[in-house]
Amino acid sequence: MKPIIEMKNIVKTFSDNVVLDHVNFTLNQGETRALLGVNGAGKSTLIKILNGIYHADSGEIYFEGERVRINSPQDAEKLGIRFVHQELNVCPDLTVAENIFIGHLKKNRFGFYDEKGIYAASQDLLNQLEINIKATDRVGDLRAAEMQIIEILKAMILNSKVLVLDEPTSSLSEKEKVIFFNLLGTLKERGVSFIFISHFLEDVLQISDHATALKDSRNNGEFDTKKTTKEELIFAMMGKNAIQKERIEAEKGNDAPPILELRNLCSSGKFRNINLSVQPGMILGVCGLLGAGKSEIARAIYGLDKYDSGEIVYKGEVIKNPTPEKMMKNHVAIVTEDRKLEGFVPLMSISENITLSTLRRYAAKLGFVKEKLRCAKSLKIAQSVTVKMTSDKQKVESLSGGNQQKVIIGRCLESDPELFILDEPTRGVDVYAKTEIYNILIDMANRGVTVLIFSSELEELLAVCTEIIVLRSGEIKERVQAKETGKAELLSLIS
Amino acid sequence: MIKKKNSILSSISEYAVLIGIVVVFIIGMSIASPYFLTFTNITNIIQYVSTYGIVSIGMLLVILNGGINLSVGGTLAISAYIGCSLMLRGFPWYVSVLVCILTGMMVGLVNGLAVTKLNIPPLIATLAVEQITRGVHLGLAQGAPLTGFSQTYLNIGASKFLNLPMAVWWTLLLYVIFFIILYKTCFGRTVYAVGGNPMATRVSGINNHKIIIFVYILAGILCAIAGIIVTGRMNSVAVSIAKGLDTRCITCCVLGGASVTRGGKGTIIGCFLGVFIIGLLQNSLDLLAVSSYWQEFIQGIVLFLAVSADFFRTLIARRKKK
Repeated sequence: MKPIIEMKNIVKTFSDNVVLDHVNFTLNQGETRALLGVNGAGKSTLIKILNGIYHADSGEIYFEGERVRINSPQDAEKLGIRFVHQELNVCPDLTVAENIFIGHLKKNRFGFYDEKGIYAASQDLLNQLEINIKATDRVGDLRAAEMQIIEILKAMILNSKVLVLDEPTSSLSEKEKVIFFNLLGTLKERGVSFIFISHFLEDVLQISDHATALKDSRNNGEFDTKKTTKEELIFAMMGKNAIQKERIEAEKGNDAPPILELRNLCSSGKFRNINLSVQPGMILGVCGLLGAGKSEIARAIYGLDKYDSGEIVYKGEVIKNPTPEKMMKNHVAIVTEDRKLEGFVPLMSISENITLSTLRRYAAKLGFVKEKLRCAKSLKIAQSVTVKMTSDKQKVESLSGGNQQKVIIGRCLESDPELFILDEPTRGVDVYAKTEIYNILIDMANRGVTVLIFSSELEELLAVCTEIIVLRSGEIKERVQAKETGKAELLSLIS
Repeated sequence: MIKKKNSILSSISEYAVLIGIVVVFIIGMSIASPYFLTFTNITNIIQYVSTYGIVSIGMLLVILNGGINLSVGGTLAISAYIGCSLMLRGFPWYVSVLVCILTGMMVGLVNGLAVTKLNIPPLIATLAVEQITRGVHLGLAQGAPLTGFSQTYLNIGASKFLNLPMAVWWTLLLYVIFFIILYKTCFGRTVYAVGGNPMATRVSGINNHKIIIFVYILAGILCAIAGIIVTGRMNSVAVSIAKGLDTRCITCCVLGGASVTRGGKGTIIGCFLGVFIIGLLQNSLDLLAVSSYWQEFIQGIVLFLAVSADFFRTLIARRKKK
């Protein structure tokens, strides 16, 4: 196979920090190549150099055998390299066709906007690729996977030769992934090459042909993904294997009265007749596809969203009109789905974010904060949840996704929860940090905290939970023992 | 110890630009006008800034909390008017002070409830309240100013202590109090947190509404206090009292580093320096005999520059990170 992109001996330093140390990266014509590495390994810098956002200190880039200089994203686009970012950049109020052609809207011969032209071209593209959406649909009404597909179609109308996909699957459910991977397959047959950046090693193994691993700013192995294992890849990224802790099953817990019970909980259009109970010290998982009602139930329990009817019973008492304030006082904590939106206060330090819920506990007379005590406690928590930081005064904004998530978990830990609810706790978190988060949860459960995980990542639930509840279109379908259930079985239950 | 020194240095460097502006102003003006550096003139400046200096504290709280308050002028006018009209009907001075502050509180409460419970954007809610309060004041006053207050009442803002007008002492005292509240108390830190990301604080079990309402009430009280001081100094409640106060206070806060687009950013020291700079500017323009019609224009330019400074600051910070 002929290489389409070759990056040779790329060196990049930021002040004294060597971020890329003679890194080589080759993408062959018509292949899907995964770029692997933990946060800080240098993969995003490498990609930004390819995109022309950063400039390499030394090293060469070849495109289709010719030496090229990429000084700006426009240069990359001219070559036919197109980037699909992790965050969806769609305009929800425009139609599918308008979104696809945005920035390249066609003009007719009078110089007016050629509406018919773009609708016809878009519908044509959608038909060719057998995608089941209409060019006239409003994008805001589509599902996440379909929005992701539009991002790719945007690249297609420019006849891109190379697509760089940054974490494209992080917001997709298992079923949507299938649709998405099919599209990638179709495009590959037409000769498009892909660079695939992802923390989801299962997806990497499934979709890519080869993988390049970076570790500590250097190349650390090339793999034929058909002949490698997940463990091998993890080892190449970390230089060590992440070991998950053992869950000590609570012997006594199972006859104890449930700590939380939901009785016929209903919320129109979201979920109905939800009955579930959790015994103290248990890790219970709730799984389902996007739109099955997972987050909605989690949010209703915590009083973040309203529900229509039914009862929430906590420690034997019916909680009427739950509010976050009330639930926090009852020692319930929650990690919500959207970390950036609801997780932390970006301009505040790690230390202040950890004690956000519990500031009152450090109050002396007149509401003065006992700063020393507070700092000591928050530092202890930050260390116990293994946040990688230069100082606890660092702003949470500047941390990587996994570490931000640990800070949020730290904040919940600090409030001494008896019931800990997590909604998609490891979305966008790298493999190693994921295992660290699982270990924190398992440690908590071993200490008697009840953990309730709402997740669409089946492996995660199977690895951590004792029992799993399966949701399908807003209703509970099954409750299974994690140990006795396989991924395939669970997958067939949810879809 | 070294660490502590560093943090003091770094916090000074944070205000370097503002302090620089103050120094440039003082040097430039002392050359331009011999009268500038006299004790009387400096006292004048501080006394002049006291009104909106106090109101700016309230404005800063609201901005930090993620809102904006356009009703400060109306709040000041209505509280001063109601308080003073009671005094003219024979009530003792302390009753009118109390009623004045209560009125400020009530207006703040209305703002707070409108923003939280009715979920009206702060810009619109406070704009409406501004017009309502101004309207009530005009309606009650029928265009006539109030004058002739008791001497004790006037003394609150106008008498002197240690050769400095009381207005100056009140302003300094309130700045110290709110410095402590913002940095050392749970409430102050929570104000920053709610402004920084209200969704996160809600999930963390903080009652955002309570905090926001309380912040608007404090802002109302501060307007009322400023009202007492300014009526004391003027010995009248004019119909046009505190006109343009909102823009001026927003200018001070933004000049001092607060961000109108993103809550949780800004400091009380920055706000104080902002107030001081605006005072210097006003005083300089007066001394240089710039027509008051053009002064309005110059203040608009300053607000514009202050807002763009915020933009450039973020840009530079982002460059540094890269």
